[in-house]
Amino acid sequence: MSGAATARETGARLAKAQPLNAVLHWSQELLDAEGARVDAMPAGSSLAAMPVALKDNIVTVEQPTTCGSRILEGYVSPYNATVVERLRAAGAMIAAKTNLDEFAMGSSTEHSAFGRVKHPLDPSRVPGGSSGGSAALVAAGVVPAALGSETGGSVRQPASFCGVVGVKPSYGRVSRYGLVAFGSSLDCVSVFGRTVDDAARVLSTISGSDPLDATTVDRAPMRVPKALPDLRGLTVGVPKEYFPADLDAGVSTALRRTTEQIQGLGGEVRLVSLPNSAYAVPTYYIIAPAEAAANLARYDGVRYGKRRIGPEGDIRSLYRTTRGEGFGEEVRRRILVGTYVLSAGYYDAYYKKAQQVRALIADDFRKVFDSGIDLLLTPTTPTPAFKAGEKTEDPVAMYLADVFVCPMSLAGLPAMSLPVGRSEGLPIGAQLVAPHFGEELLLAAAQVLERTMDPLAEVR
Amino acid sequence: MAWETVIGLEVHVQLRTRTKMFCGNRTTFGDPPNTNVCPVCLGLPGALPVPNAEAIRLAVRGALALGCTVHETSVFARKNYFYPDLPKGYQISQFDRPLATGGSVSFDSPERGRMQVGITRLHVEEDAGKLLHDRFPGKTAVDLNRAGTPLAEIVSEPDLRSPAEARAYLTTLRQILVYAGVSECSMEQGSLRVDANLSIRPAGTSRLGTKTEVKNMNSFANVERALEVERARQIALVESGRSVEQVTLLFNAGTGQVKPTRSKEESHDYRYFPDPDLPPLVLTPAWIAEQRAALPELPEAKRARLEAAHALSAKDARVITAEVGLAHYFESVVDAGADPKTAANWVMGEVMTTYNESGSFPVPAARLAELIGLVREGVVSHQAAKRVYSELAQSSDQDPRTAAARLGLVQVSDQGALTGWVDEVLAAHPDEVARFRDGETKLMAFFVGQVMKRSKGKADPKGVQPVLQERLTVAADR
Amino acid sequence: MNIGLDEVLHVAKLAELAVQESEFRRLVEQMNRIVNYVATLDEVPGDRIAEPFLAGPQSVKLREDVEAAVPLARPPAAMAPEFADGFFLVPRHGAMEDQ
Repeated sequence: MSGAATARETGARLAKAQPLNAVLHWSQELLDAEGARVDAMPAGSSLAAMPVALKDNIVTVEQPTTCGSRILEGYVSPYNATVVERLRAAGAMIAAKTNLDEFAMGSSTEHSAFGRVKHPLDPSRVPGGSSGGSAALVAAGVVPAALGSETGGSVRQPASFCGVVGVKPSYGRVSRYGLVAFGSSLDCVSVFGRTVDDAARVLSTISGSDPLDATTVDRAPMRVPKALPDLRGLTVGVPKEYFPADLDAGVSTALRRTTEQIQGLGGEVRLVSLPNSAYAVPTYYIIAPAEAAANLARYDGVRYGKRRIGPEGDIRSLYRTTRGEGFGEEVRRRILVGTYVLSAGYYDAYYKKAQQVRALIADDFRKVFDSGIDLLLTPTTPTPAFKAGEKTEDPVAMYLADVFVCPMSLAGLPAMSLPVGRSEGLPIGAQLVAPHFGEELLLAAAQVLERTMDPLAEVR
Repeated sequence: MAWETVIGLEVHVQLRTRTKMFCGNRTTFGDPPNTNVCPVCLGLPGALPVPNAEAIRLAVRGALALGCTVHETSVFARKNYFYPDLPKGYQISQFDRPLATGGSVSFDSPERGRMQVGITRLHVEEDAGKLLHDRFPGKTAVDLNRAGTPLAEIVSEPDLRSPAEARAYLTTLRQILVYAGVSECSMEQGSLRVDANLSIRPAGTSRLGTKTEVKNMNSFANVERALEVERARQIALVESGRSVEQVTLLFNAGTGQVKPTRSKEESHDYRYFPDPDLPPLVLTPAWIAEQRAALPELPEAKRARLEAAHALSAKDARVITAEVGLAHYFESVVDAGADPKTAANWVMGEVMTTYNESGSFPVPAARLAELIGLVREGVVSHQAAKRVYSELAQSSDQDPRTAAARLGLVQVSDQGALTGWVDEVLAAHPDEVARFRDGETKLMAFFVGQVMKRSKGKADPKGVQPVLQERLTVAADR
Repeated sequence: MNIGLDEVLHVAKLAELAVQESEFRRLVEQMNRIVNYVATLDEVPGDRIAEPFLAGPQSVKLREDVEAAVPLARPPAAMAPEFADGFFLVPRHGAMEDQ
């Protein structure tokens, strides 16, 4: 389909999907401009007029970037993120900027300053977060692919809740230049796709080292993997710590089905152990807020964004009021926790300790992969999508939604969620994890499963 | 009560790079505000730092020139605080794993002679922007052109014992860093800044007193003044029964006083942690060795070598090597054939005067060597040569002989001409001739002077005397 | 482990966040909840030297010293909340002299 036609079609779908509140910025003018731009490109571009939505913490010149926050109301970036440049160069069309938990801090997209996003299948439920808007748009069939970002699972978890493919690459695989920083040692631009192939093609386009990001690794971009006929020769580890006795029955059944599928396709399944994963969530909630507290210090009302000055009228008042009023509750909480764990007297007990434990968690994975395991299989989330308001009272309850996805973020490993079934109408995702830079195997194996499993099938 | 003063200095120098520490903007001085900026140094959402290789290279050279141990692995750290000139709300610096530690600087203390000051550490960091408080009423103006400029911070051990000593240390430190090509080290241009820490204690004790920090000094002389004032203030405090508070003071060059900063700074909890946007800086021993090998000859080594190679006095060698440009110029003049002693005098005289005024060497070294040769040959007198030098300094690359001729300063050595003038003088002063012949030989100087006058300075004085001698003697024999 | 209001307010000051009196109680409760939760890491024996875990490159790649700044699609004036004569403006800070 031509760019112009795609622009009209996508515009219509975006308009229809408005009730989801998944989108913060889109316009038919910009869509048409994108359509014209890609139509003028020479034929054969790899993403040929694919409309891609972007989480609103990825900066763009043409559309505002608010990160779901009042503090960036009206901010329009004067430069494009590297991933945006790469998508556009490959012929993709930037369709919209999607809603998110403010500054990517959250697991339900209920913490946006611009209203929560509704789950496409059940508006009383959350789509997951923090990349809930992007997940919802792909699930609702508005776009075949979207970019999100992960710090502790913010693409895999909503992918699982919404029943779409969500892939987090290895840390350092994709440039973070232009991704608004939250937890710099954890942040990864990640991809949602309707299918594994959609996600793989987008990931291949955006990956590769960037001289503007010193944390990217000197490796060639990821290639779209060749199709595998089956899973013969593949050894899949199932870590016992990720299958607690009280796991949701639907999730448990879906994972059991997946394991059987793998075996049916010729793969071997082995029980393994990742003992330190139990500490992943507390480790994450020290490291991520600490880095975030520093990363969000730049939002001070001096050079951009929405400025507010209190009655004292001095510079301190400018800082405290701009930030106090511009940041939402969850963001303020995390900044305070982060500042606290870095402050004098606490650095060793918290931040330094968390780095030690992080190394132990990563080491668990390395040992398992070194012992002959090719991929790991776990549930993506402990339950299907929960109801809006269910976890907002207790911050820790919300944090625990990321219990299965967070460890891979800490270890910097590539991981993805594949929809494998439904429980009472709600999607369930299975998580696959590969060793460092093992995206190609990860996606190839997922594609085999995708071919042979019905994500819409009720598991019970 | 006799008091001992304990002083430590923190010096920030701007590294001589083309671009900033973490982004590709120029570091030039004096551009319109906020025009040398990009997402990185503006602290825009999503921007990331990438370190400048040349800044690291220069910092390592500086560290080696100061005798430091350069660490193969060092770590960038975030120093977190809020200030309008700090776009990210943190400064990228180095904390517990700096680039270099453990050096020393040898220098001449005015009180204690030759001594060493320990260098605790040298690390790299980025500069903040500039604030202007008086440009707009009720507002502070922020210019981020300077934000992100590469700096090396050099911290001395508290080994200095007087303001004058501190100044001497600074002079030598600056000299070493300029020689090493690390920084322009100009306080006027802001490429060298000094913060001082001073405390006092009863002489003979070893426990350190409470130290204060003194800032805002814009010259080495003002560092000395400020520290004298602060020392006096602390002594007066303690002697009146009060105690020194740990404060930061600003020096006011106009009043010559120090005043505590008005704002009660919040507790300096900088919450340092390794910057997750920057993997560790890893340098190989081979690369560090390359930097050491690439170091130019440093001031002490050059001074010793020139003294030995050219039989210069210690004092002259010190003067000539004080500025690296001057030392290089001197060596070029000698290489072009001039004798070292004469060259040294010229360099310490005319050349240094022009350099101090204009910051440049308008007369090419080879030309000065030629000029010195002309004096030795007797083509011009030393006095005349100074005028030729000024002429050469005006317009580019004239040759000295032509310039001397054009100025009419070429000495006349021709026997015939000299004899003519001598005869005229002797004829004009018969009484003095008689007196000379009677034994007043010191009248020779008078006659020489008269010949010089009659020749309007053109006679070659060395040639005049023998002619006079001959003429005066010949007459005596008659 | 109990974090008091004073400590929370001190941290808020370090982070330049205004906190309304109406929020005090809830904030202190939540801070305690979170910090006590993450303190479960105390269970893990801490005998290793803590090098920050590096998921990406093990050493930083340096950039050559050539002019190559990312151009801005719009100048600072376009983004600034307050701007005049080329400068960002903020309320005058204390009584500091011009540097």
